[in-house]
Amino acid sequence: MTNVLHVAFRVGAAEYVVPASLVLHLDAFVTATPIPGSAAYVAGLVQVRGRLVPVVDLRVRFGVTSDDQPSVGRRVIVVQSGGRTAGLLADSAREVIGIDVTGFAPPPELVESQATGFVKAVAALGTRLVLLIDVPRILGEEHRHD
Amino acid sequence: MTDIARPGVFDQIDNAISRLAAAAREQGAATEESRAALDSIGSSVDETQASLEQMARTQASVASSAAEVLDGLEASASSIVEISTSVGGVRKDSDTLAASSDATATTIEELARSVKSTAGNAAELAETLERLVTAGTETAAGIADTAARGAETAATIEEVATTSVQMAAGSVRLAADAKQVGARAGEVAAGLRRINTSLESVASDAAEAAAAVEETASTAEELARSIRSVTELAGALEESATTSASDLAQIAASVEAVAATAEKNAAAVESNATGIEEVARAAAATAISAQEVSTGAGSTTTAATQLDVATRRIVALVDSTRTTAQHVTTSAKSGGQTVTRSLAGLVKIREAMAQGAGVMKDMGKRAEEIGDMVQAINLIADRTNLLSLNASIEAARAGEHGRGFAVIAEEIRALADRAAAAATDVAKIVRGLQSTARDAIAANADGLRLADEGAELGEVARGGLNSILEGVDTLGAAIANISTATDEQARVVQSVAGSASKLETESRTIARAAAEQTTATQSLARAGHEMRTMAKQTRDATAEQARALRDLVKANTALTATATRVTGAAQEQATAAGELAKATLQMRGAAQRTTASVNEQLRGVTAMVAGLDEVAAATQRTVVAVAEGAKGSADIAKAMDDARRHAATSARSILEKARTAKEIETGLRDAAQLSAEVTRATGEQATAIGALVKETDEVRRIARQTARAVAEQSTALGSLAAGATRQTASMQTVARAAATQAAAVEESAAAIRDVRGRTRDIAISLADQVKQSMVAAGHVAGIGRELAALRIVGGVEGSDPGVPVNGPANGAEPSS
Repeated sequence: MTNVLHVAFRVGAAEYVVPASLVLHLDAFVTATPIPGSAAYVAGLVQVRGRLVPVVDLRVRFGVTSDDQPSVGRRVIVVQSGGRTAGLLADSAREVIGIDVTGFAPPPELVESQATGFVKAVAALGTRLVLLIDVPRILGEEHRHD
Repeated sequence: MTDIARPGVFDQIDNAISRLAAAAREQGAATEESRAALDSIGSSVDETQASLEQMARTQASVASSAAEVLDGLEASASSIVEISTSVGGVRKDSDTLAASSDATATTIEELARSVKSTAGNAAELAETLERLVTAGTETAAGIADTAARGAETAATIEEVATTSVQMAAGSVRLAADAKQVGARAGEVAAGLRRINTSLESVASDAAEAAAAVEETASTAEELARSIRSVTELAGALEESATTSASDLAQIAASVEAVAATAEKNAAAVESNATGIEEVARAAAATAISAQEVSTGAGSTTTAATQLDVATRRIVALVDSTRTTAQHVTTSAKSGGQTVTRSLAGLVKIREAMAQGAGVMKDMGKRAEEIGDMVQAINLIADRTNLLSLNASIEAARAGEHGRGFAVIAEEIRALADRAAAAATDVAKIVRGLQSTARDAIAANADGLRLADEGAELGEVARGGLNSILEGVDTLGAAIANISTATDEQARVVQSVAGSASKLETESRTIARAAAEQTTATQSLARAGHEMRTMAKQTRDATAEQARALRDLVKANTALTATATRVTGAAQEQATAAGELAKATLQMRGAAQRTTASVNEQLRGVTAMVAGLDEVAAATQRTVVAVAEGAKGSADIAKAMDDARRHAATSARSILEKARTAKEIETGLRDAAQLSAEVTRATGEQATAIGALVKETDEVRRIARQTARAVAEQSTALGSLAAGATRQTASMQTVARAAATQAAAVEESAAAIRDVRGRTRDIAISLADQVKQSMVAAGHVAGIGRELAALRIVGGVEGSDPGVPVNGPANGAEPSS
């Protein structure tokens, strides 16, 4: 029994989690200043506690095409990974839950190849299914290191 | 010797048998006794067996109880082992607790600070919700007001409905009245037709009378003419008589000539007599005609009287028609009033509905305001959620120290989520309320339209009633016309009656005159007859004159006197004839007047019939108008019914709205309460955390004590487990002994069952023995009886020697 706190959030119809240890802060998303020439999934820059943070639009990043994007309640999850600080733009993030990490299982291979490796593991919490995201891969760090 | 010894042997045998029987009876009794003893043994054996069985059962229950005790002991032993294991765990945990309570104390202070900021947020939320509740209450009050207005509208509609029903009833009454008027007009027309018929018969009678009068007149003229000729003849006669007188002296010479003249005279007298007779016949005919005229005039008078009566009846009918028409007018006017009242009621409904629409629009605006407030609450809930999530993350970063803080942050998050959910519910309810308000506005518009339609229908009804009033006016005018016509008619009829009566009188006078004339002519005829006789006598006398001249002169003088008398009579007759002609002329005039007046009467009646036709047409129009009015009234009633139904529907929907508003209010109150709870909870949390800091030291101390106590407990439990194991072993021994005992009891029971079987066998054989003893006793008794018989036989043979003792036995043997 090793309960680890995770921040749960929603993008499209799926629910994702990120370890709370990677999360610096949560903030409401109002607008971001677009950065010319940046990747399509970068929504722009936002100010968080006096710092400028680039925001990755997870809808674009995960290729969610459904148009049920909410107008309110969108959240920026400010994460720290490999010395970089970035914001993840989610449809909503309203919960911090403790998850038994031994319950995480690697995703089936077909899913993994289609999801371009953004999902590291899957856990079942009762009837809920949560996907553990791979933050460095989402931020595109592994390419930098390669 | 044998004779003496025989009775002694019998006695011996007898004694032996008696003894034998006694012994057998004794044996039976003894056997019976032993059977009874055996039965009692059997029953006691049964008892013993039952006791044994009970004992075996008790033994079994003892064995099962022992087994149960054993199970229980084993379970306790294993529980004790478990307990001691868990106590070991507890000891470890309490150690950990003691260590972690130190860390908790420091993080709780941090938490207290964060809770204070949460309390601030919660207070803000509570304030916003309070405002929301006030707005909700206002909305509910507005809706209640609307409901009251709706009820007012319904009441007004009810009133209008009642009025329209009254109006419909009035219209129906109007229709009935109009129908009555029609019936009356029909009656009048029938009466007039009857009059017309009778007038026609009067006219024909009058014409007949006129014809008869005409005939009479012509006859009278003829009579006059003939009388004139008679007068002329009489004149001539007188002249010739005078000539005869003057010439008598000269004529006296010639008797032959006188005789001839007398002959001529006789012939003239003869013709004169014939003429007079003709006049008499004519006069009689005149008298008959005059009588006929008189009769005709009488029937004319009767007809005129009948006409007068009929006319009076018509006048009465016209009067009653006028009264009915006035009734109709009154009904129509009251109908018009009810329609006016309905229209006023509809205007009131319209106003109330317009007011209702305003209130509903206001309510819609309020609902939008509530929506804005709900959005604000949502925003605050979202912000609170964000704060709590960040607090949780901070707590996670603080590691073990942040654990308690994380718990509280989670609770705050849950409360914020609940507030958000409540706000969403409120938004949903407000949306429902808005759609209900929109429906109500639409329903109200329908109601307005219906009220307008009702007003239009009322106008139509008013138009129908106005046309009824017009028809009634026309009817009144027609009735007035009829009244005038009938009055005139009555006058004309009366003059007709008067002239008819005069005619009768006059015709009677004529008849009387004619009768007198007849008498006169009859006397004339008689005189003519006398004259004829006289002429004959004159002729005879002339014949005598021829013989005696003096007689001739005398006779001539007499002739002159006679001629003078004839002339006077003729003149008298002429005068009478002139009078007759004059009367006839008068009669003709009267007859013509009668015809003319009858014709006038006919014309009056025809005009009256035309007037009545006009009345009938007017009545028909009235009936149609009334039917239209009734239909209009029925339409109004139906429309009012619809309006009533609509008003009821709108009242229902308003009530529903009020209920919805109440629900909103209640929801808002819940939300306010919730936020107050949040505020209070955060306040309590702050206090609790303060207390918690103090308690933590205590906890630490108690945790140490607990650890010590638990160690002691562990030891005690070990020794307890050992004792339990020992107890288990001894209990197993007990169980085994009980099982052995049970087996022994079972064996005894089997032995007893055996004994019982055997006892039964003995009893059965003893019963057999008893039966056999009884049989033996029976045999012995039989022997006794035979012996007695033998003794009697032996006694008889003893007094008659020579017969051997065995004789009968020997003698009987071959025969049997």
